[in-house]
Amino acid sequence: MARAPLSPLDFRPAERGLQVDPILRPSLSYWEDTWRRLRGNRRATLALVVVIALLTASAVGPVVWTVDPSAQDLDQVSKLPWADRRARIVDGAGAADPSLPVARATGGSDPTGMDLRIVGEATTKSVVLEWNLSDLASGYRVYRHIDAIAGGEPLGLPLAEVPIAGPGRFIDRLNLQPHRYYYAVAALDAAGEEQAASTIIPADVVRVLSEQEAIARGFAASKIFPGAEVELPFHPLGTDALGRDMLARLIHGSRVSLFIGIAAPWFYVMIGVGLGSLAGLRGGAVDQLIMRFTDFVVALPFLLFMILFKIGFGIGPGESGILPMLVALVLLSWPGTTRLVRGQVLQIREEGYLEASRLLGAPTRHLLLHHLVPNVMGVVLVTLTFAIPSAIFTEAFLSFIGMGVVPPTPSWGSMCNDGTKTMLMHPHELVLPATLISLTVLAFNVLGDGLRDALDARLRSRE
Amino acid sequence: MPESNQSHRSVGRYLVQLAVVGVFGFAGLVWVLGWLAGLTESTLADAVDADAQTVTIVVAEEPPQLDSSLSTDTSSFMVLGHVMEGLLRYGKDGGLEPGVAERWEIGEDRATFWLRRDARWSDGRPVTAHDFVFGWRRTIDPANGSSYAFILYAIENAEQINLGKLPVETLGVRAVDDFQLDVSLQRPVAYFDKLVAFPSYYPIREDFFASTRGRYGADADTLLYNGPFEISKWIHGARLRLEKNPHYWDKARIRLQAIDAAYFTRDPSTQLNLYREGRAAVASLNVETVETALRKRWPISRFASGAVFYLELNHRPERPTSNLHLRRALSLVIDRDELVYNVIRTAGFVPAPSLFPIWLQGANGPLRNEIPVPPMKVDVDLARHHLELAKRELGVDEIPRLMMLVTDSPTTAKEAEYLQNIFQTRLGLDVAIDKQIFKQRLAKAAAGDFDIVVSGWGPDYDDPLTFGDLFASWNQNNHGKFSNAELDRWVATAQTSLDPGHRVFAFGQIQRILAEEVALIPTYEPGSVYVRHPLLQGVVRRAVGPDPDYTNAYITGES
Repeated sequence: MARAPLSPLDFRPAERGLQVDPILRPSLSYWEDTWRRLRGNRRATLALVVVIALLTASAVGPVVWTVDPSAQDLDQVSKLPWADRRARIVDGAGAADPSLPVARATGGSDPTGMDLRIVGEATTKSVVLEWNLSDLASGYRVYRHIDAIAGGEPLGLPLAEVPIAGPGRFIDRLNLQPHRYYYAVAALDAAGEEQAASTIIPADVVRVLSEQEAIARGFAASKIFPGAEVELPFHPLGTDALGRDMLARLIHGSRVSLFIGIAAPWFYVMIGVGLGSLAGLRGGAVDQLIMRFTDFVVALPFLLFMILFKIGFGIGPGESGILPMLVALVLLSWPGTTRLVRGQVLQIREEGYLEASRLLGAPTRHLLLHHLVPNVMGVVLVTLTFAIPSAIFTEAFLSFIGMGVVPPTPSWGSMCNDGTKTMLMHPHELVLPATLISLTVLAFNVLGDGLRDALDARLRSRE
Repeated sequence: MPESNQSHRSVGRYLVQLAVVGVFGFAGLVWVLGWLAGLTESTLADAVDADAQTVTIVVAEEPPQLDSSLSTDTSSFMVLGHVMEGLLRYGKDGGLEPGVAERWEIGEDRATFWLRRDARWSDGRPVTAHDFVFGWRRTIDPANGSSYAFILYAIENAEQINLGKLPVETLGVRAVDDFQLDVSLQRPVAYFDKLVAFPSYYPIREDFFASTRGRYGADADTLLYNGPFEISKWIHGARLRLEKNPHYWDKARIRLQAIDAAYFTRDPSTQLNLYREGRAAVASLNVETVETALRKRWPISRFASGAVFYLELNHRPERPTSNLHLRRALSLVIDRDELVYNVIRTAGFVPAPSLFPIWLQGANGPLRNEIPVPPMKVDVDLARHHLELAKRELGVDEIPRLMMLVTDSPTTAKEAEYLQNIFQTRLGLDVAIDKQIFKQRLAKAAAGDFDIVVSGWGPDYDDPLTFGDLFASWNQNNHGKFSNAELDRWVATAQTSLDPGHRVFAFGQIQRILAEEVALIPTYEPGSVYVRHPLLQGVVRRAVGPDPDYTNAYITGES
């Protein structure tokens, strides 16, 4: 295509105020753009909501749910939230009242003539059994079952052997829960072998509190009189093996977990950014020195140093290991960030705009603050969000093996450790803290993923 | 655009391929591994085999080694009780029976044992009195550092030898000939017959010992057996198999052909799974697994281990617990019933009011009846009063933080957190928990590095003195260094007196002083409940001696 010849008109100055391509949309800063793109990512938004919710819960949780996480409610051990909480107040220490009627097994004759009976009311304090002694027996064995049993089936849990010398009487106190038990007594012969067993007698155990206990539990004085019905405290997420409130423990545990999870990465990413940009920018001997030191630190074993710090800090047994854990994490985890930032800085240092800026006479400070740091910021932020879940995991692991918090302070890791012991019958004690660890780790990971996408300049151009 | 779609589709196909290969590869790997595991598992028999008379069991821990002069733990004692035999042994009903010794006489200053002539080592050679002399000298020799050397102190010169003041040859034990063993006693001992049934008194044959070049007891082939069984296979960390010893003198009594300790684990869930799958004949239950056993309608047995657990308090003057009022305060707030029935919750545990457990026998009947324990009541107000007195005497406003040393086991960990809470809420005391593995817990307790330690003691021999001398000022297991001259005198009386009534009186005085001075706070007598294969019969559980004892066990054919 032939060009028109140039004329002097082409060289006249442009008119001031002439709008050639007006920018109609408001200008979008880097961070505004990132935020917009992050919000466009549904998963990342959800993760952000979860993270904010967790942080809020651990911050204001103890104010809202004021239950003491180490208070033991031994009347409600390993309970689920919907378990029956009713209890009746009895006077005195809660011993069985002998004046109450005697309960006997109904129907069917008892061939052994033992006439097993329950004296007084069967309560969670005690169940009193009595039976007639036989001349032939050398002793008796008392059994308790949680299910009705047919003849010939094993009688259940052996509670005690009662010698013939005593009265035919046994008081059961073992872990009585408010439901129905089935008792039986078997006579023993001279060799200690079991003879015929008595009829099985059911006992409907009711939960009772003595007046002293009710006072100690802080029930209103007007409510405390023998025979009064009260409701034991409500535990929204159940209780653990010592009757401690799971919700309160999870909230207090989250403080430890999230503190380590956020403080440690924050500190070591700062160290990493500082050392990494120094090494990348200065290069030469400084770079060599820092990077070789980084290689050295990478080779140090974390667990060993954690123990060394614990000793070095003079932290004795029975004291919290959270501080040495933080120090060990910060001092041993920075090399990754340092290497990453150094690499980025080396790359950016060679970019044209930096060269141009330098040629225009920009001082180092300007280069650092206006070109290097903003460009590295994305990488750093992503590293930080990915470092948080790994730190939470480390804390959970160390508390699980007993290197972190000490009892009675809870942390999600130590709660998991406690939960494994009761996993078969009361899985909620393990499942709740484990779910929270998983959820937190997943949320931070997804958020980090979303941030990386949002910050990546290369992805931006594809839109 | 079409191009990019194309690339998307190919990526999708690639992903699908990858997933298919991954899933099938993983399934194949699992199958191959399962097949390989089956190759090794196939050697495992069922838990009980009536035709072959073999039984497969779980043992809580592997014995560290089986040199009878050095063993200290219950797992080792259990295995040694099956493969070795002392002069006397424990019978079915818990009483003593003649073992290698046919008959014996025990006097005030000497004891004589006549050995049976048909007792044989597993290589067919006779068991002689010289083997006992060698075994006992090894136990007492300070060069071997046996923790149980003190159990021989009744023998003449034993203590001096163990302290390195006399040569080992001066030990008061002598083989008159191959089948007569003479023992000179340092002091009269009412219970010497019970002592010689203890593993530290087992025989060791000198020429065989020399041939092992310092590896005696480390493996199946570096041990010589004179008991009902011999170790046929010992794979460290995995398995211990005992087979009937054809040279055992009383082999007609033994009906089991083999005992296969195929698993070493303490974990109740694992034990229950092994039992459920028919791979182990016995499984002990905890508060969790007992419910499963009940629902499955399995017959459950109960067993009191004979031990007693207590809080040992540190009496060293620099410790706050050296103050009697503080000890009283601590003792008064502990509700043993609540601890046993609502915290530990395992059937078989019994609250303990005294250092002397309930099963001990006195002069004529249970010791507990002859020296009754005053009832113990929780009295928080009185405890607070004592606490105030303690603060005044110690000259402090607040009692400094107390260190509670415990073993890292589920039961004691729970107990410790309960006690920590009790001391905090009822007395306002700050208590820190120092959780350590068993060995380290013992080491720290021995070093006095504690204020309170959760300790337990199992009986070594069937006499109340096995508990009674624990708090004598010279006892190594008196970790808190409790020292009371009157108590020491009564312990000495119980050691040397031959009059049963006088000894019971001495035990009563020991019990009184321990309670008055709150030398310790007894908490509970542990026990266990367990399930046993219905075809396995005749297993003896006992408080003193090897437990469980399978030497009288057999497998019935009928179900």
